[in-house]
Amino acid sequence: MAVESNVVDAAGPYDRAKALSAFKLGDLTFYWITRLSAISVLLILGGIIISLIVGAFPAMKEYGFAFLWTQRWAPSADPPVLGALGPMYGTLVTSFIAMLIAIPVGLGIAIFLTELCPQWLRRPIGMAIELLAGIPSIIYGMWGFFVLGPFLANTFQPFMIKIFDGVPVLGAIFAGPPSYLSLFNAALILAIMVLPFITSISVDVFKTVPPVLKEAAYGVGCTTWEVVRSVVIPYTRVGIIGGVMLALGRALGETMAVTFIIGNSFRISSSIFAPGTTISAAIASEFAESDGLHQSGLILLGLLLFVLTFFVLAGARLMLMRLEKKAGN
Amino acid sequence: MSDLSVSMSAAGGLPQAPVLPEAPAKVTVRNLNFYYGEHHALKNINLVLGANRVTAFIGPSGCGKSTLLRIFNRMYDLYPGQRVTGQLMLDQTNVLDPKLDLNLLRARVGMVFQKPTPFPMTIYENIAFGIRLYEKISKSEMDDRVEKALRGGALWNEVKDKLNASGLSLSGGQQQRLCIARTVAVRPEVILFDEPCSALDPISTAKVEELIQELSENYTIAIVTHNMQQAARVSDKTAFMYLGELIEFDDTSKIFTSPTDRRTQDYITGRFG
Repeated sequence: MAVESNVVDAAGPYDRAKALSAFKLGDLTFYWITRLSAISVLLILGGIIISLIVGAFPAMKEYGFAFLWTQRWAPSADPPVLGALGPMYGTLVTSFIAMLIAIPVGLGIAIFLTELCPQWLRRPIGMAIELLAGIPSIIYGMWGFFVLGPFLANTFQPFMIKIFDGVPVLGAIFAGPPSYLSLFNAALILAIMVLPFITSISVDVFKTVPPVLKEAAYGVGCTTWEVVRSVVIPYTRVGIIGGVMLALGRALGETMAVTFIIGNSFRISSSIFAPGTTISAAIASEFAESDGLHQSGLILLGLLLFVLTFFVLAGARLMLMRLEKKAGN
Repeated sequence: MSDLSVSMSAAGGLPQAPVLPEAPAKVTVRNLNFYYGEHHALKNINLVLGANRVTAFIGPSGCGKSTLLRIFNRMYDLYPGQRVTGQLMLDQTNVLDPKLDLNLLRARVGMVFQKPTPFPMTIYENIAFGIRLYEKISKSEMDDRVEKALRGGALWNEVKDKLNASGLSLSGGQQQRLCIARTVAVRPEVILFDEPCSALDPISTAKVEELIQELSENYTIAIVTHNMQQAARVSDKTAFMYLGELIEFDDTSKIFTSPTDRRTQDYITGRFG
């Protein structure tokens, strides 16, 4: 009898344990699903790197490090002569100019939207920015080719060339003749394309500034500009740099629009009004007709872009860490 | 009778100091009304802040104390949909004049907030920043001014060896005194305190209260507080507000011992609020 009563007593705790074990299974499943999702990122990344290296290996063996500083790109020569200097130069220069234009304009829009803009204008401008981000890059390419390129070649470029004619360094940068297809046009299109990234992220982080902090700055008599410069931007700099890095990543890798308007010339010219090419544009325009060593060279270019992007973003992160240290928090 | 004894204890160490002579008016408020959109937040306020006096504003949450304070330096201007009618004079200046230079006004009327708001920069820069807005002075003069301001904020001894540390690295009480020092550094005429101690521990609170008393020698002070002992300790005059109206405005000792209005009495004795 005593045994039986024990069993009855144990029934309660036993049921609870069973219920808990069901939870445990759910937890375990959840844990593994999330863990596998996370691991799959590493696998995909590793897979891409490995296949890039394998594909690029013949070109690596053929050209070695000279690939990095050879400017000549003659895939139809026998044997083909391939050098990545032109595309690398084009990639860095277009991205640099694009950021030079997009950062101040993007931040300016964000500041206007959060600090100055009357309420009724906020939504239209905000929506326009979002729409800008939604335009497919091929459309930017066509617009750049048919509208922006001719416009710049007829107005802005001759103007700049004339102004800086004979000036030591700037004269070489803004040298003629004007061209529909140029590094500068591509950079301008890139700037327009990355603008929404910078703006929308900046708007989001500007909104995280506590109103009371801004009020305190206004309270000592700051103008809006002073509040933005001394409080809003320092307070949000991590977020802003994050947005800029995202934009930079996009600018470095953008393909379609750039392929349309950059001119696909592998020669390096000091002038930003001259045609050029970027890594992604070179791959996009030649990959379909390539084979053998040529194709391997293009894959090696892709690998270079990968490394380049990695270093640029790592550099940005390093800069961020320095900034943090300097600010002392 | 019992009411009175409760009110005595609510007032803490009741100021036994003789009532100060009437001070010349520094800020004059006449028939002031304030609206948040449709909401009528302040109704027909009339009062005078005496020069170099501490005026406390008490009342339950949402009664409009902070709103009133934020009109003194036009802080409400930052937000659309908030408007004000009536008259508010700072000496001879019409504060509500739409053409008034707000930066200048805010240099004359400093504000310390509920939560400490150090700027994201070094302690030194936190102070120098405000000064630099108005004056071009040499490095050594600036050092001087910063030290003076930090002494004014009773913070100098604690931070003099780490002026280049971030303002955010200080404790809450220190941050609040930094904010007071920053406000003082600009040499305002009026300082507004919006519940300056509500986020502070008792010791920091005592320091800030002491500081407020000292500051009243040179500045006209308005302080919003939920702590009635604090109002009794630091202020010369007290204004009791309720539901957007100014119910009673009198010498602090009178408000806390023999208020005229029933509602004031109920509030300070803790019947509501």
